[in-house]
Amino acid sequence: MKRTIAPKPAAALLVLLLTALSGGGLAAAGTAGKGQAARTSKHAGQGITCVQCHGKAAKKSAVAMQQCLGCHGETKELAARTAQVKPTNPHENRHFGTEADCNRCHHEHMTSENLCLPCHKFNFKVP
Amino acid sequence: MSQEHFQEDKETDQYTKQVIENGLSRRSFLSRAAGGAAAAGLFGLSGLPAVAAGTAKTRDLEVATSSDGGATLSFLPKPKPIRDREIAETLTFDVVVVGAGASGVPAALSAAENGAKVAVIQKAPFALSQGNTGSGVDLATSEKAGVEALVARLIADSNHRCNPKLIRQWAYHSGEAVRWVIDRARQGGSPVVDQGSPVQRAILKVNGYGMGYVTSFFGPKPYTTGDGMRHLAKTAEKAGVRFFYLMPAVQLVQNKAGEVMGVIAKGSNGKYTKFLAKKGVILATGDYQNNKAMSDYFVPDVKHLGRKQLDKTGDGFALAYWAGGVIEPIGHTKMLHDFDAGPASMCDMPFLAVDRKGRRFVNETVEMSLLNNYLRDAENAGHYSQIFDSNYMAQAATWPGKLVPPEGLKNYMPDDPSPKKGVFESQVNTHVADTIEELARKIEADPATLAATVKRYNEVVASGKDSDFGKPADRLIPVVKAPFYGIHRRVRVSAICSGMLVDENHQALNAEGKPIKGLFLIGNLGGGFYGGVDYPLTVFGLSLGRCYTFGYLTGRHVAKL
Ligand SMILES: Cc1cc2nc3c(=O)[nH]c(=O)nc-3n(C[C@H](O)[C@H](O)[C@H](O)COP(=O)(O)OP(=O)(O)OC[C@H]3O[C@@H](n4cnc5c(N)ncnc54)[C@H](O)[C@@H]3O)c2cc1C
Repeated sequence: MKRTIAPKPAAALLVLLLTALSGGGLAAAGTAGKGQAARTSKHAGQGITCVQCHGKAAKKSAVAMQQCLGCHGETKELAARTAQVKPTNPHENRHFGTEADCNRCHHEHMTSENLCLPCHKFNFKVP
Repeated sequence: MSQEHFQEDKETDQYTKQVIENGLSRRSFLSRAAGGAAAAGLFGLSGLPAVAAGTAKTRDLEVATSSDGGATLSFLPKPKPIRDREIAETLTFDVVVVGAGASGVPAALSAAENGAKVAVIQKAPFALSQGNTGSGVDLATSEKAGVEALVARLIADSNHRCNPKLIRQWAYHSGEAVRWVIDRARQGGSPVVDQGSPVQRAILKVNGYGMGYVTSFFGPKPYTTGDGMRHLAKTAEKAGVRFFYLMPAVQLVQNKAGEVMGVIAKGSNGKYTKFLAKKGVILATGDYQNNKAMSDYFVPDVKHLGRKQLDKTGDGFALAYWAGGVIEPIGHTKMLHDFDAGPASMCDMPFLAVDRKGRRFVNETVEMSLLNNYLRDAENAGHYSQIFDSNYMAQAATWPGKLVPPEGLKNYMPDDPSPKKGVFESQVNTHVADTIEELARKIEADPATLAATVKRYNEVVASGKDSDFGKPADRLIPVVKAPFYGIHRRVRVSAICSGMLVDENHQALNAEGKPIKGLFLIGNLGGGFYGGVDYPLTVFGLSLGRCYTFGYLTGRHVAKL
């Protein structure tokens, strides 16, 4: 299930344009805020469309973590894969165990962030 | 015990009256709701009592305005109705506890030990809490006058704005409760110890009367009360309590008369479970420090200050508010600490203290728990440093607190390679340097500013009188002999300690001061125990001690209904 996902802005834009034109686009995709089209998408360009994550419902909402797991696999497997990360395993921590919501760090439509940083000196690179 | 205190009823009336008059409740809102937009299900926003505030209508949404007409409240959205067909499962218990933290886990176990069938629903994947120390009064080794003197001290710490009945309840039951938590957590495998009275050395005598304490210590770090509550949950499970994790409570179930019948929780699969509670629902969801709008409204002081907790979004406040509960008036009590950057025992020692840039800003006898008030701006944002030189062991030997020798300070130095013990390694922030400028760089202050501050401070010390801030002469020691030390502390919000109106049984009261049947509020969600600007550090571990005590008492009370 492991794969490298690199953002491809140009392709992302194209997908958005196409979906917007066809009337199936997301006016407010997840984190992008109301009335604002998503600027970037790491998934787009890999053959993944907006509806695959956001669904077809008229009212689009943020993507539930369950959706991420559907493609990327179980959190426990992920935690096992990052067990050696120093200084600590980001996917198994004291706050959330192996159940931290992916969306808290990994952002699809904006730059990802290291949620630990405000409190800890863990310099994780968050893809 | 209440009969012994003829003053109590009157005092409590004062507190309750004040909260009802100036707190936040739906009372005025409900009386207007029939014609309002909220009745149409458009927007559920809160209303202050009509005397204190009014409502403004903007198009089709009704918003409450604060008494000065400024604030609009959107942080308590009315829960969306959940239809029966969305409920995947309905389960029935005697007692349902919401939140597996410092107050919820004890409440659940206590209810089970008193014969109730109990469920705990928890937002996180496991029991979760913070801190290490919880305190109770050991009645056997305390003078009665001492207990009352301590009660008076705590009331004064809360600027005389708390509910004295609740303070007494803690004072007279906490020893028993904390001892019980220690015993039951041990049964679950916890290394918890009773540190007793020695750690409370600052408060062994109150007004000359002798006091003894039970002090639970879930530590040393990285072991904390979070782990402790996980161990206690094991004991609770053995006692028959069922835990439902990753299931945030989203709505209370109420009948037409307003009685709380249960609670609906949402699973990570998006499906709802209805938990019916025959005797009562105990909400123990903690504070709202991660709810920005709520924090800005109730405690604007902490706008620029960091947070020590995650996901404390005030869920219980919204649930209880919509069930008719009353939130304590604006100006909530806050708790800000940093016990991680350097030794906790040195946090209140009056060394030279400088702000983030390197300027002296206060008479250093002000305790750490109050310093946040000087560091509220966006630039300082809770950062300051304690500065001392290599003579500190001798020169500060008689100060209150406990000095850690240079060798021990290494445990708190991120730049020192020695292995760290009993600390969160990623949060230590103590430094040593041969020059003031180098120290400034390490504590992230401005070198020239710090050098000027130290120069001026040494002049003040040499004069024997603190003409800048008035610190007592015996707390003035120079910063002259290298190497120099700096502890860069950053106080962040540990907890917000104000909550919602409850009676002595921790039953929620509505805006008429009447109990809401079936609804109980404990821990930081419960109100009345504090009232000052800042949480008092008079009794070390009061907050956790209170959580354990009221969990223990409330679990028992509800089980026996
Ligand atoms: C770093 C730190 C150190 C501290 N040290 C000390 C100390 O040494 N001594 C002391 O006395 N105090 C200390 N405190 C304060 C103390 O930890 C708190 O006051 C206390 O834990 C509050 O207990 P509580 O039961 O109200 O809430 P919590 O212990 O926070 O528990 C609330 C629980 O409810 C759950 N929850 C929230 N919303 C929902 C929902 N919708 N549905 C289901 N579950 C939900 C949460 O996941 C959480 O587990 C410290 C605080 C911090 C942050």
